[in-house]
Amino acid sequence: MQAPKDQFDQRYVRQLGVPGWGAEGQRRLAASHVFIAGVGGLGCAASVHLAAAGVGKLTVCDADRVELSNLNRQVLYTPQDIGHEKALVAVERLRALNPSIEIAPVVAEIDERTACDLVRGADVILDCLDNLLTRFALNRCSVATGIPMVYAAVSEFTGHVSFLHPPATPCLECFVSRTPPPVEPAIPGCTAGLVGALEAMEAIKFLTGIGENLAGRLLVIEGLEPRFDVVGIARDPGCPACGQPRR
Amino acid sequence: MVIYLRSGGKLRDRLQPDVDQYTRRVEVEGTPTLREILTSMDIPHALVAFGFSQGTVRRLDYRPTEGEVVTLQPPVAGG
Repeated sequence: MQAPKDQFDQRYVRQLGVPGWGAEGQRRLAASHVFIAGVGGLGCAASVHLAAAGVGKLTVCDADRVELSNLNRQVLYTPQDIGHEKALVAVERLRALNPSIEIAPVVAEIDERTACDLVRGADVILDCLDNLLTRFALNRCSVATGIPMVYAAVSEFTGHVSFLHPPATPCLECFVSRTPPPVEPAIPGCTAGLVGALEAMEAIKFLTGIGENLAGRLLVIEGLEPRFDVVGIARDPGCPACGQPRR
Repeated sequence: MVIYLRSGGKLRDRLQPDVDQYTRRVEVEGTPTLREILTSMDIPHALVAFGFSQGTVRRLDYRPTEGEVVTLQPPVAGG
């Protein structure tokens, strides 16, 4: 549903004043498509901010159903949603938040077979996943299609965020090893919320063309100290995903 | 030589900090890799995804230099 122009301007007035954003930035957002891979802790936070900001099309993909143990951090869901598909519930909540944008649910597993079909047409991919294997599948798809991917992951009070767009930047497999964490991590809602919001920020900067992305850099958050570090990451010429094939 | 390892996350307990609440002073022979240093400290490699120092990510085959402070990161994959 398209909002009348004066309503449109009023809705976004508090962000249009950001230097470099303006009507043109808002128009770019409205013409953009973001694929959100996972609507768990990261995806709930990121999708809320992207919908509220007026990204024209969101695809929200998750195969899981809401569980009671999700509710400490997955803020789009309530106890009444337990047992329902996350993607469907999330889209209902996001549509209520911003009825003027297009939001499509996809209830599907992301893997090496499905990833590239799922993200087709997106301008940017948000990695809001909860495991390494699926992240690597999404990363391979980002490398193959050239669609940039905002990477993020959380554990306890620790968070990582980067903007991956090879060959201009490293891809995920250039700097993350395939060794999975030994146990399912504890994740406070505040960590997921903070890092999910940062993912939305990376996407918005890319789509509007303002500011600088975390390209070739990794933001490392240690919430307990608290400490934020931005560290350089380099392409690995032997990377199995984006490196030169060995002869 | 002496290097310093630090961690603010879940690795901190394994690191047994002694300089401040996040940092451990480690004396090493020669110029070992981070992986070799972790082995000598009985810290399983699987608990460390990478380190960073001087604004750059360091893999476990990185060889720290005298006095260098390397911050260790656990594998982080949750969402």
